[in-house]
Amino acid sequence: MSASYQAVGWNKQKKKYDWIIFSFCVVYLIVFIGVTAYVNPDYTFETVLVRSTSTLALLLLHVILSIGPLARINKKFLPLLYNRRHLGVTMFTVALVHASFGIFQFHALGNVNPLVSLFMSNTNYGSLADFPFQALGFFALIIFFLMAITSHDFWLHNLGPKVWKTLHMMVYPAYFLIIMHVMLGVIQYETNPVFVLILGVGSSTLIVLHLIAGTREVKKDNEEFGLKQDGFVMVCGVNDIEDNRAKMFCIDKERIAVFKFERKLFAVNNVCKHQNGPLGEGKIVDGCLTCPWHGYQYLPQNGQSPPPFKEKVSTYDVKVQGQNVWVNPKPYPEGTERKGANF
Amino acid sequence: MQEFYIGWMDKAPRTFAQFVKKYLLLILPVIIVIAVLLGALQKKFSKGNFEFGQPTTVTGIYFNHPVPLIKVINGKDIFGNISYITIPLVGYGKHGADGIISDIEKEKNISLDQKEVSLKGTLLYNDGKTIMQVDKNDTVLVHYSGKQIASELLPQKKDLGTLSIKGEIVDSKCYFGVMKPGEGKPHRDCAIRCILGGIPPVLVVKNEKGEANYYLLVDADGAKINQSVQPFVATPVTVNANAIQYDDWIVLYVNKNAGIREISRSAFYQPGNAVACVMR
Repeated sequence: MSASYQAVGWNKQKKKYDWIIFSFCVVYLIVFIGVTAYVNPDYTFETVLVRSTSTLALLLLHVILSIGPLARINKKFLPLLYNRRHLGVTMFTVALVHASFGIFQFHALGNVNPLVSLFMSNTNYGSLADFPFQALGFFALIIFFLMAITSHDFWLHNLGPKVWKTLHMMVYPAYFLIIMHVMLGVIQYETNPVFVLILGVGSSTLIVLHLIAGTREVKKDNEEFGLKQDGFVMVCGVNDIEDNRAKMFCIDKERIAVFKFERKLFAVNNVCKHQNGPLGEGKIVDGCLTCPWHGYQYLPQNGQSPPPFKEKVSTYDVKVQGQNVWVNPKPYPEGTERKGANF
Repeated sequence: MQEFYIGWMDKAPRTFAQFVKKYLLLILPVIIVIAVLLGALQKKFSKGNFEFGQPTTVTGIYFNHPVPLIKVINGKDIFGNISYITIPLVGYGKHGADGIISDIEKEKNISLDQKEVSLKGTLLYNDGKTIMQVDKNDTVLVHYSGKQIASELLPQKKDLGTLSIKGEIVDSKCYFGVMKPGEGKPHRDCAIRCILGGIPPVLVVKNEKGEANYYLLVDADGAKINQSVQPFVATPVTVNANAIQYDDWIVLYVNKNAGIREISRSAFYQPGNAVACVMR
């Protein structure tokens, strides 16, 4: 939520995160290359480089895609989510090494341009078994490239959250392309079933994690509220919300975060303007409702980020009757001041 | 009160930091196990060797047909027969040697065919076969003798009749040493590019023990068949062709319109049944 863009400050957490990524990547590469060299003394450097980087990139992609649902299932995974873009850029860099060497090895020094060769050598586009799998990897790499270069908040701000999020959701089609790249490529060569097994376990784990996280979300969204009165809906008791904390309610398809601050209740749209984070799982920090994903902040009374920041979310009317909290799901324009409800 | 994590703060709350530490300690061995499994269980690399950066000069008889090659004489065996090895020539990168040989012939206004020559190039070899890469940026022709060779040095030909054999078409350069693997689906694009660049295509026929026979492919008239084999590279095929043994290589003269047929993978390898006899 910057008004101007400066070199990113690498705080202690970021440095630690990056060191852990680097160390894990190095450990993987050393073990893979070491074992390959030991088991296959006839190995060649080029092949080991292509294979070690491809498998590392695929492993990183699985880790990246698991962090989202894991953080939805258990908030303790949030430290992994905050700097996930670092993992993404690392994965792209490793994949780029794989692709560059692959294109050089298989397509350079021939009678046509390597990129023409990539698409025109094997032209069995109509056959599944014989499909030119390298083209699939190429398109996935383009998606990862676009994601990597737009990972900075500068692009989030300039493209707008909707376009940016849509672009970054392309990671799922890219993942599908990569799985097909592997299945129609090296899996057709290797004979040991362990390769398919490892890939199957990885994909299944991702599917299960996304299903668990998604089911929880749907359950929360479909929660029924019985009591309605003058456009207001009774959502919970006053004591159900902790001080300086929020709760999310989905009323008439509107996700609303209701939070308690200085003996008042306020309601704002649950969806953070940064990356659609759940404000209802946030906390009041320094007088601002703070998103749990990346720490974006909003003032309770009007849903605006504190100056000079410009993000705004919709606000809603809240009232307290007896010990019950009532919310009107009709949104006010983003940034509209509301008094909140005393209790 | 539950702790709350904010990424831009310098330090994560204790419970978050401890949880992530445990998670990392859990996935570290998983990563190591995956690296060990993937590293250890890859298909065995071939024993092919490419003497990159170590040029060798070989002396022998150059022949234009069936593919550009040099026949290197190495004395006589115990039966008094001439001992030799036939080394097909390929160019730098993904190119055949034809252009380089033709340029030398034009430049020096000579014909190399059936003449004794010394050629400088880089050797690559595997499973009893040797190939030599010649590079137009090097001095390829080190020595040339214009003398006609003795008839006993001409290729010993033997008609093997019509064969129908199952195998995989590869490019001779990658398969015999430059690439590992130089066969199969992952290498298909490269093999196609090499073959379209003029590198002689070879049919590899293996039995269930992995023992292989190698056949050079040309068309029914003995001309290059490279363009026509493109759809069949690195996929199981049946080749029907007249086979002629030229010294230590067997050459298949393939009808380029009907001589090669793609077959299913299940028909290719049938456990327990040899798909070809291996000739040594």
